[in-house]
Amino acid sequence: MIVELGHYALIVALATALVQSVVPVIGARRGDLAMMNVAHPAAIASFLLVLLSFGALTYAYVTSDFSVQNVYENSHSLKPLIFKISGVWGNHEGSMVLWILILVFFSALVATFGGNLPATLRANVLAVQAWITSAFLFFVLLTSNPFARIAPAPMEGRDLNPILQDIGLAIHPPLLYLGYVGFSICFSFAIAALMDGRIDAAWARWVRPWTLAAWTFLTAGISMGSYWAYYELGWGGWWFWDPVENASFMPWLAGTALLHSALVMEKREALRIWTVLLAILTFSLSLLGTFLVRSGVLTSVHTFASDPTRGVFILGILVLFIGGALSLFALRAASLKSGGLFQPISREGALVFNNLFLTTATATVLIGTLYPLLLESLTGEKISVGPPFFNLTFGPVMLPLLLAVPFGPLLAWKRGDLIGAAQRLYMAAGLSLLAGLAALYFATGAPVLAALGIALGFFLVFGALTDLALRSGLGKTSLAVSWKRFAGLPRSTLGGALAHLGLGVSVLGIVGVTAFETEQVREMSPGEVTEAGGYTLRFDGMEPAVGPNYTEDVGHFTVLVDGEPLARMDSAKRLYTARRMPTTEAGILTRGVNQLYVSLGDPVETGEAAGSGTIVVRVWWKPMVTLIWYGTIIMAAGGIISLSDRRLRVGAPSRSRRARAAMEPAE
Amino acid sequence: MMFWVLAAILTAVVTIALLLPLARRVPVVAGGDHDVEVYSDQLSEVDRDSNAGLIDEAEAEYARAEIARRLLRADRRSDAGIEERSGRMRRVAQVGVIVAVPAIAMGAYLTAGSPGLPDQPLASRAAPPSERSGPEMLIAQAEAHLADNPDDGRGWDVLAPIYLRMGRFDDAEMAYANAMRILGPSAERHSGYGETLVAAAGGVISEEARIAFQSARELEPDEPKAAFYLAMALVQEGRNERALQAFEDLAETSPPDAPWMEVVDAQIATLDRERSATGSLTLAPLELPNLAGSQEPSAPSGSSAPSDEAAAIQSMPESERREMIVGMVESLDARLRENPDNADGWMRLMRSYSVLGRDDAANDALTRALEAFPRDSEQGAALLALASELGIDAPAEEAQ
Repeated sequence: MIVELGHYALIVALATALVQSVVPVIGARRGDLAMMNVAHPAAIASFLLVLLSFGALTYAYVTSDFSVQNVYENSHSLKPLIFKISGVWGNHEGSMVLWILILVFFSALVATFGGNLPATLRANVLAVQAWITSAFLFFVLLTSNPFARIAPAPMEGRDLNPILQDIGLAIHPPLLYLGYVGFSICFSFAIAALMDGRIDAAWARWVRPWTLAAWTFLTAGISMGSYWAYYELGWGGWWFWDPVENASFMPWLAGTALLHSALVMEKREALRIWTVLLAILTFSLSLLGTFLVRSGVLTSVHTFASDPTRGVFILGILVLFIGGALSLFALRAASLKSGGLFQPISREGALVFNNLFLTTATATVLIGTLYPLLLESLTGEKISVGPPFFNLTFGPVMLPLLLAVPFGPLLAWKRGDLIGAAQRLYMAAGLSLLAGLAALYFATGAPVLAALGIALGFFLVFGALTDLALRSGLGKTSLAVSWKRFAGLPRSTLGGALAHLGLGVSVLGIVGVTAFETEQVREMSPGEVTEAGGYTLRFDGMEPAVGPNYTEDVGHFTVLVDGEPLARMDSAKRLYTARRMPTTEAGILTRGVNQLYVSLGDPVETGEAAGSGTIVVRVWWKPMVTLIWYGTIIMAAGGIISLSDRRLRVGAPSRSRRARAAMEPAE
Repeated sequence: MMFWVLAAILTAVVTIALLLPLARRVPVVAGGDHDVEVYSDQLSEVDRDSNAGLIDEAEAEYARAEIARRLLRADRRSDAGIEERSGRMRRVAQVGVIVAVPAIAMGAYLTAGSPGLPDQPLASRAAPPSERSGPEMLIAQAEAHLADNPDDGRGWDVLAPIYLRMGRFDDAEMAYANAMRILGPSAERHSGYGETLVAAAGGVISEEARIAFQSARELEPDEPKAAFYLAMALVQEGRNERALQAFEDLAETSPPDAPWMEVVDAQIATLDRERSATGSLTLAPLELPNLAGSQEPSAPSGSSAPSDEAAAIQSMPESERREMIVGMVESLDARLRENPDNADGWMRLMRSYSVLGRDDAANDALTRALEAFPRDSEQGAALLALASELGIDAPAEEAQ
């Protein structure tokens, strides 16, 4: 009954979303506040209904109710509880329900916290959200219903893809979706504003917190996904330019651009057309990502199930929303007046620079992702666009942008002073060059480019610190005063600086691990040792073990420093019994920001070593690698701090004033 | 019942929640106020920045002027505030909500849902009621047993042909390999292993499979399954003369009522006609032995037939495959008309029609079957049970 109630709730959610799609729009057109207000309970109800539905599905998973086809196909009674739960979204149907849950979650947030928005804007935003919700609810109910039942029910499920049986999976998709889907709000704001014909500085202020929230979640989600791939896939890499990764990275790049251009629009009412276009494009890229992943166009770990009708359906949604939005944009863009003027060298100019490079980078990734697909569908020729393409194109685009980042916040609005900004950055630049030289000195034989990369990373970090120091007047006034000024800085300034600092930390990690990583592949017999990053790694032998739903061969290693044992490491090859699928569990030892990474290959079965427990071992020494993810955490923290800025909630006519206005006639 | 009560409550609560705003008389709020708030906040921000020395006075003046312009514009707009309205549109919306929400919800749910089906958490199903204990259940138990005792060769031996018949070829391959590793090779295991490879390859007899069959024959020269596949291998190689010879040898050594004889005879007939070598392969009458056989094959090798045919059928084009299946089903139908005293045959026929989507024909078959086997007989009950499982409506009682 619970399962069926879940099914029913999902359908009622569709009915509610349809009401929310229509009534508030009519209300906004006619200026009927009552009809506009329908959006509010509708959004909350949709969220609760989808939540109920998601809960019912989770209940079916937890109790291993194999009369639900989705559970039968993706779960197993022997699976640990946490993976039974994460299994809910570890498959196509369930993950689409999660997608919708997050969509309606954002609608409910707007309904609850959108008190500062004008009534028509809020009604239209919620209606546009409901259009998206309805489309995806139709998609789920018509092509991917997770509540389809089987009678009689099988006695055992067919297990979850073991690669997806990982704690990373439990957190990664929800976070990623929060970001991905969060940009739907920006999209809805853009469409609502276009329908209203009002796009001004206030609109930018209202849309910014939502952009920030989505951006923060997406940053955390991508980072988590990258770390998950790093330690779960056992390939030793942290970013593969895999189409699915790109699908999440493109909205991030566009969203970052949007975040910056909305800033210009809020301050100066410039870049209006551009900001609206970006808001549309960012979510379009999210939709495109959903299409690529869900349609089965791509074959990868993420494509749980492919079915042509699903692909066509999502393509239809894609065309409808992106096409519709761009048409509306084309219709209205001409009527938008351009805003404040500015010199090329100014804060606005810097942000335009940022936007140009970020969108170029997005386009680069888009081409690299779509071109092979197009080519294959048109000519049948299979090519793979791998890291070489992206390293050659994406890298050079990002480089000038990264160099320019510290300058941006130091430039004044309207008319900036580049030389002045450069002078203020002398110290940061000097320190970073020193750091680069130090890298050159300590890592003998390090390529000059790597040293420059390190310097660049430090430049970003010191640049961000310089910005904060200048704003709090450090060195010009007493420490106490500058502390007071620092504490009084707007949160968004603090958050921005922190995000830039995090970017620098990530760059440091990327440069460090790319330039100084060592990798060796060798056959090791028990007792044999190898050197990596100043540590001695001893292979102690293999041992079979049994987990709840897998069997594994664990390779034991001991890490030694100067002959003294420091730590033990285990790396394993697992076989998940129900699906007969092997996976590799990497052994990772973290030392400071560096990591030693051990992954097992196949046992040696030919030659004299056969049967002696000899196995192929891949050993990586990855200096500074964790900085990559620490950096993203700092960036996300910057987003959260910025989000706590009081000013982002401004806009609601204060209660007292409204109350007075209502009372006056009575007197 | 409980479900419908809860569903009704859910629907009612949602509908009322959507109706509430439409019923309320709402206060008037001027539309421009929101922007005014934002812009005045921007003004105070400029003041803060200039007091803190972050921007100089001239810049601050510029910014103030700019924001003031926006403020003016917003003020002008706020005159066109939202007025309270009531009227027809609101009434239409109310009626729309009242009608649409329950109608959409019920309509869609009744087509897609399974309202009668209870939850079936595994824990509460641990001891399945005496109704059929189901092959899945047995397999699951065997799998659980083997997960704990992976060295139980007999378990693998039992499971291997079952996997094969279910089309789980990878599992079958593994099970045969395990059985051979633990219990040692036997003709049966070798030929079963070979058959798995053939089935997994869609009917093609690979070199590895051929070696397996040959090993089987070395252990037991009379093993009919191995003999059959080795002959088929010859057909696939285009060596029709030798293939014909091999089939004829097999026919001689087999009892005349062996379940594979029909296939063998057909192959002999085809080869006899000296058809082109490649064309002959797909002409094997694939599902016939299974449909025609009135009893489960008793010889252990008899289980070979279905999966092999399935593989061969799978390698055929869709239209041809369907045509062949329809032909076979119709011949079964005709035979049952002549000799209706075959409960298994009726069940197969009902199942086939149901798979083919010909529900009326399945219905008809059930009616005729019930004429041969009364409802209260054991077979009659089994027929009715199958019918309900397949979703075939039983004929009204007076048919008896």
